[in-house]
This record gives sequence, structure tokens and C-alpha cells, in this order.
Amino acid sequence: MTTQPDSAATPKRFTIPIGPQHPALKEPGFFEFTVEGETVIGATLRLGYAHRGIEKAVVSRTWVQNLYLLERVCGICSHIHSLAYCLGVEKLAGVTPPPRAQAIRVLIAELERMHSHLLWLGVAAHDAGFETLFMYSWRDRETILDLFEQISGNRVNHSINTLGGVKFDLTAEQIVSVLKAVELMEERARYYLDLVRNDPMLGQRIRGIGTMSAAEAHRMGVVGPTARASGVGRDLRVEAPYAAYTAIPVVVMLETDGDLQARFIVRIREMFESCRIIRVLLDHLPEGDLQARMPRRIPEGETIARVEAPRGELFYFIKSNGADMPERIKLRTPTLCNLGSVLALCIGRQLADIPMLLIGTDPCFSCNDRAVVIHQAGNREKWTWEQFRRYGNEALR
Amino acid sequence: MRISTILGMALQSLFRVPATRSYPQERTPSPERLRGQLRWNPEKCTGCAVCVKDCPAVAIELLEVDKAAKRFVLRYHTDRCIFCSQCVQSCRFKCLSLSNEAWELAALDKQAFTVDYGRDEDIHALVEKPASTDDPPRL
Amino acid sequence: MNALGTLLLFPGGLALLLVALLAEWISRKLLARLQNRVGPRWFQPLADTVKLLAKEEVIPEGVHRVLFEFLPVLSLAAVLTAALAVPLFGVVPATSYAGDLIVTVYLLSLLTLCTSLAGLITDDRYAAMGGLRVLSQLFSYEAPFLLALLGPAVAAESWQITRITAHAGSNVWMLFTQPVGFVVAVIGLMGKLELSPFDAPEAHTEIVAGSLTEYSGRGLALFRLSRNVALVVGLTLVAALYLGGVSDPLAFAVKTLALLLVITTVQALFARLRIDQTIGLWWHYGVLLALGQWFLILIGKGAA
Repeated sequence: MTTQPDSAATPKRFTIPIGPQHPALKEPGFFEFTVEGETVIGATLRLGYAHRGIEKAVVSRTWVQNLYLLERVCGICSHIHSLAYCLGVEKLAGVTPPPRAQAIRVLIAELERMHSHLLWLGVAAHDAGFETLFMYSWRDRETILDLFEQISGNRVNHSINTLGGVKFDLTAEQIVSVLKAVELMEERARYYLDLVRNDPMLGQRIRGIGTMSAAEAHRMGVVGPTARASGVGRDLRVEAPYAAYTAIPVVVMLETDGDLQARFIVRIREMFESCRIIRVLLDHLPEGDLQARMPRRIPEGETIARVEAPRGELFYFIKSNGADMPERIKLRTPTLCNLGSVLALCIGRQLADIPMLLIGTDPCFSCNDRAVVIHQAGNREKWTWEQFRRYGNEALR
Repeated sequence: MRISTILGMALQSLFRVPATRSYPQERTPSPERLRGQLRWNPEKCTGCAVCVKDCPAVAIELLEVDKAAKRFVLRYHTDRCIFCSQCVQSCRFKCLSLSNEAWELAALDKQAFTVDYGRDEDIHALVEKPASTDDPPRL
Repeated sequence: MNALGTLLLFPGGLALLLVALLAEWISRKLLARLQNRVGPRWFQPLADTVKLLAKEEVIPEGVHRVLFEFLPVLSLAAVLTAALAVPLFGVVPATSYAGDLIVTVYLLSLLTLCTSLAGLITDDRYAAMGGLRVLSQLFSYEAPFLLALLGPAVAAESWQITRITAHAGSNVWMLFTQPVGFVVAVIGLMGKLELSPFDAPEAHTEIVAGSLTEYSGRGLALFRLSRNVALVVGLTLVAALYLGGVSDPLAFAVKTLALLLVITTVQALFARLRIDQTIGLWWHYGVLLALGQWFLILIGKGAA
């Protein structure tokens, strides 16, 4: 992707590479910014440094084994990936998980959303040079990680999903500790909301920066909190409810300013909504089984599964040919939809704003990286495996 | 207008115990469900090998000593295990479990990462047989 | 022999270097506690320095070798020289002459110039960007910082540090008579040392390590050391001029430490300013405030 100025470059311009290794980007993406002094006048993006071939690997593993591979697509939203996969496979097999399992899935998804947003707040604060806020938000995030460890036995890859339901039940004590954590999170979210709205120095770095109107957000196809900060109410929990969201109406948090501050506020306000959802869930937690019986071979067919990840819409296409392994799984993560907006927004901004703009979309490169070839003006070509391999090797170089 | 919104919280932090946990001097007890090293109970195993089939990381091998007498040795590769507990789920006879105690698994040599579970005489019988050193087929 | 001791051991040289490392530790530890962390152990800055000194120094291609190696030495020499005229630890400074205040301030600026040049001589784009930012910041804080230090000088009618401190010691603390000057001086010191929130020249989420990106090993150790020494010298200067002179060494140490704690706390409280915001802050408020105070002092002097 590129939004570089015309080739008639004056000698005063020079390019600043950000990535594939750079302290602002802990993940390997490559941005090349053309700057005039401190002002950015052009941007190019190159992806593919963390392409792990997961989509290829899933077709040589069984349906059960893929659960754990796909959970590891992303290190932060691990639950939501396996949830999307499970929803798709269950749809193909015609199995409905028991209500208690669906409630637990949503509970974990909402806890994960809170932990993802807190993590993001810390990273964004770090990029703004606000180390104290970074430390505080990551400290508070530990509460949720500890909760995950208590419920599922692992802090990051919870593996709570299984085909046909969930693996772990909630005990009465765990419900108490979840409620306690939710209370703490609400208190902290109130504090951070006040901070983000009122801190004058942080305000200078985020207010009115990277403003994206609702029309622009529509045109660039951004998803998740980035879209909601521009007043575009895209949220799959409302548009196409899945699991227990069918019973619990979600209030979409909208901000209309569309600047970086709005993206901060939207995410923090979503934490309140997550807390509310968790409370409602635990008040009406259905009793019953955790798993429905799943066949080992999934009937032939294809389906799509869409869920609202913390970063936006996550899309899975699953195709089965009736064997014990999938024939094709295609996934699209929200980061890819949002990255294009960074290139458009950064033109004319200060170099110092760029990491903030980039982080404003909450990018996650390793989940995002696919081999993508964009055809220009109908110029079609077909790649062989050999060409793919060469491309991969060059990307590494 | 306030100059800094975080001042109060920062000054409070001065008088609070730091959030840092100074592991290993100070250990928090691991939760009951923590997924640590795999444990195997040979008494109930029927040798169906569903665990081997379902393991996403090829971390389990079920070695036969005497199939008719249901005598097996379970060779477990800690270094490959991703602690997903799928094997525990898959086992219909409840002979697998993940320990919540054994989670500090770092070791200096690779041998520590291969654990044989089973009755002592079965493991002995296995050692006396020329063991195949080949890695199991990778996925 | 005595002069050599003054230069190498106390109060200059070795003692100063150790105190500089101690100051870094106090600052880091307090910052950690403000952020609810544990923070480093007391010997960490010393260990860092020893480690860096022991490590290989990589000299990048396309750089002027002599200059590249000479710049850190020059900057450390400059700040150590600046320390000679300053009443370190409350003892009588090694040298004293008319106008040494100006010389000291400019010797401290030499560190900044060296840092900037260190970035500009390499081919690295981050370092070049950092070097430019260091220069922009230098031009913006230099004037108000100097004006803020000259406030006490005008009040004491001398540009010699010992005379000013003597005057400061026998009168009301200038913190109270010239509060604006004190604030500008403290913030100026932070800008000079590129401490957060004025750390845009080395904002590592934007331009990696700024002008020092290409430095490693010995060069980096010397630059870090010079910055710590500059911190101690700057703190001593501000404390001596604004916080009631140096008559009692123990009280003076307490005052300097308090100033360090204030500066560290300020570091924890704010998000980083963009370089244009830093410059705007100085030229919009810093210079005007310092100038305004100057005129008030001059009018006061004229009236008296």
C-alpha cells in the first residue's frame, strides 16, 4: 500500500523507515515515511515479515488440532480466534453448543476485550512518552490475566473453547472473583476515562490528531473501535449476534470526534460495557452441560464465521470436504482493514504523531500477515509455489 | 484546569507496595487449574491412543510393551507440549491430567524434556529393547 | 598535589562521577516507585557503566572516526570542567573568576552540542533527525535558562558564582524573591538534559535513540556519564543560586536532593511533548516569563 507523493521529489525530502525493527513497532511491519523537516508527506507500507503460513498449516491438521493452532494466530485475542473457528465448524456440523457454554464463551470474550483495551492503552501511552500511564494500565491488566489463569489454567492461550462447547466450568468462587475484578476494572476505567479526557499534556498529543470523519471511515472500510470512534457503529455483536450475545443486547459505544482522543475514549467506554455484559451474564448464568457431541469428520460444505474481536471484525471462511481435516480456512483480521487508514491519515502530520496514529488503530501484525498481491489495472498473474517461496525469502532479507 | 491528572495516583503509589512480584524469591501459589506438566496413570489406560492423535504438538507417544496385557509406556515431550489440555479432554478413561505444581520446566539438557511414564518394570523393559531414536513424524 | 586531588578525587573527578551515578539511581528508583514498580538496585547505574565500558564499540561506516570517538570524551571533559567553578557538595569551588557563571552554562551546553553533532556526523536517519531536534531544543531553552540564572546574578550584582552564592546565603531565598526564575531554571535544566517530558530529541518510539543511535560501548557510556554529571552540576547551580546559598554543606545536600526528587516526579507526570510543542512552550512562555522577571528586578534595583 502506498500514498507517496509524485515522483518529482525535491532534494529536501528524505525518508524515515519505521520497521521492520523499530522500538515503536514491536511487531514487524515496514513503513516508509517521506518527510520534509518534521512533516510527513508520503507513506508506504509493506507487510509480510511475520507471514507464518498458518492458513497452509491448518489444512494438514485435524479439526481438533486446528483449534490450538488458530488460537495462536494472535497473542492477545487468542480466545476470539478459536471462538470464530468453533462457531464456523459447529455451523458446518449442525451442532449447537449448550447455553452455559455459550455464556462462558462470551464471558471470556468480554474479559479478553477489557484486557486487550488495557494493553492497548498502555502501548499508546508508551508511544506518547507517558510511561507512568503505561505502567499503571499494564498493572491493572494483570488482574484479568490472573483471572484467566484461575478459570482456565493459562494466562494467554486460555484454550477454553472446544468444538461443541467449552472445556472449563465456572465455580462459585470464580464467579465471586470475576465480579470483584469487574468492580476493580470499572473503577480503573473511570479513572482512565477522566485522565484521557482531562490530562492537558496527553491532550496535546491526542486531541484533534488524525481526525477521520464518518464518511472517510466508511470509505476506507475501517472496523472496530477505530470505526466507532468516527461515529460508524460497526459492531458484529449487534449486527450479527453470536453465542450468548443473542440474549444480551450490546450497547455500541460511539464517539463522533474521530480523532485519536475519541479512539482512546471509545475503548475505555467499551470496558464499562464489557463490565455490564459480564454482570448480566453472571446474573443469568444458565445451568447445564458444557459440551455437545461433535463428529470427528465435519460434513462437506463451506461457511463463514464473523465475530467482533477487540480490534474489530474478525472473519473466518471454512470449507470442509467431509474429511477429518479442513480443505481451506481463510481468515481476515481487523488490522488489515485498519492499516490503510493510517497511510491516509499521516499525510501532513508531524513525524512525532505517526507512532500514535499507527497505534491508534491497535495494529497486530503477526495475525495480519498474509501474502497479498494487489493487481493494478487488470494486470493479472498466477504465482507458483516457487515464486511464493522466493517472495518469502526476499521479504526476510 | 489541572496540570497533571496522574499526580495523585503517582504520589499514592510511593506509599504502596510495588506491584512487581519478585519471583523466584517470592512465589504466589499456583491456581488449582494451572496447566503444567502432563501426568499419566497407567492403570486405567486402554491404549486407544486418541490422546496421541489429538495432540496438536506431537508431544505424546504411546509405546507398546505388551498390547494384549494393556501394558504401555507413555513418552511425553515437555518441550513440544503446548499445555492445551486437549489430551486430558480426549481421554475417555481419565488417565491423563495436567499438574498445577510442575510448571517450572526449564532445563539445561534436552534429556530432561523427555519423560517416560508407566510402571517401573515396563519402562525397564522398554529401555532394554533397542529404542528407536527417530523423531516421530512431524505434521 | 592538593590541586591534583581537587581535580581527580574530591570534589571534582571521582567523587563527582560517583555522585552522578548515585543521582541517576535515586532518580530511577523514585521514578519506579511513582510507577508502582520496584526499580533498580543501588549499584545498577555503576554496573551499566562498567558493562558499557567493557563492551565492543561499533564504529559505523561513513563516519568521521576521530570525531566519532572524540565527541563523548569532549562532552565528559566539558561537564567536568563546568563542575570546577560550581560549589559541589557545598565546598568552595576549585576555581573562581569574574564571569564564571556564563562559562559554566556554556560548558554545559557543549554537552548538548556534542550530542547533536554525534547524531549529525553519522549516516543514520534516526540519528540525524535526533541531532536536528537536539539543536532545535538547544536554541529554544538556552535563552530562558540563561536568563533565569542571570536573575540571581543581577540581584547580587556579580557574574561570579561564589559572589552570587554568598549573596544568596545572606539574603532571603531567591526561590521566594524570584519564583518565576526558579521555575524557568528547573524546567530549563530538564530541557537541557532531555528529561521527560522534554525528551523529544531521543523519543525512542519515534527515532530510536535519537542522536546517540549509532553509539555503543565506551562512547555511549561516556555520553551517559556526562549527562549524569551535567545533572549534578545543574542541580548544584540551581540549588546554590535559588535555595539560599551553600553555607551549610549538609543542608545544601538536602536541598539538592529535594530538587532532584522534584525533577524526577515531574518526569513521571507528563506525556512527551512534540518537538514543536517544546519549542512553542519555551518561546511563548519561558522567554517572556524570564524577561518579565528580569525587568522587574532591574526596576527594583533602579528604585532602590
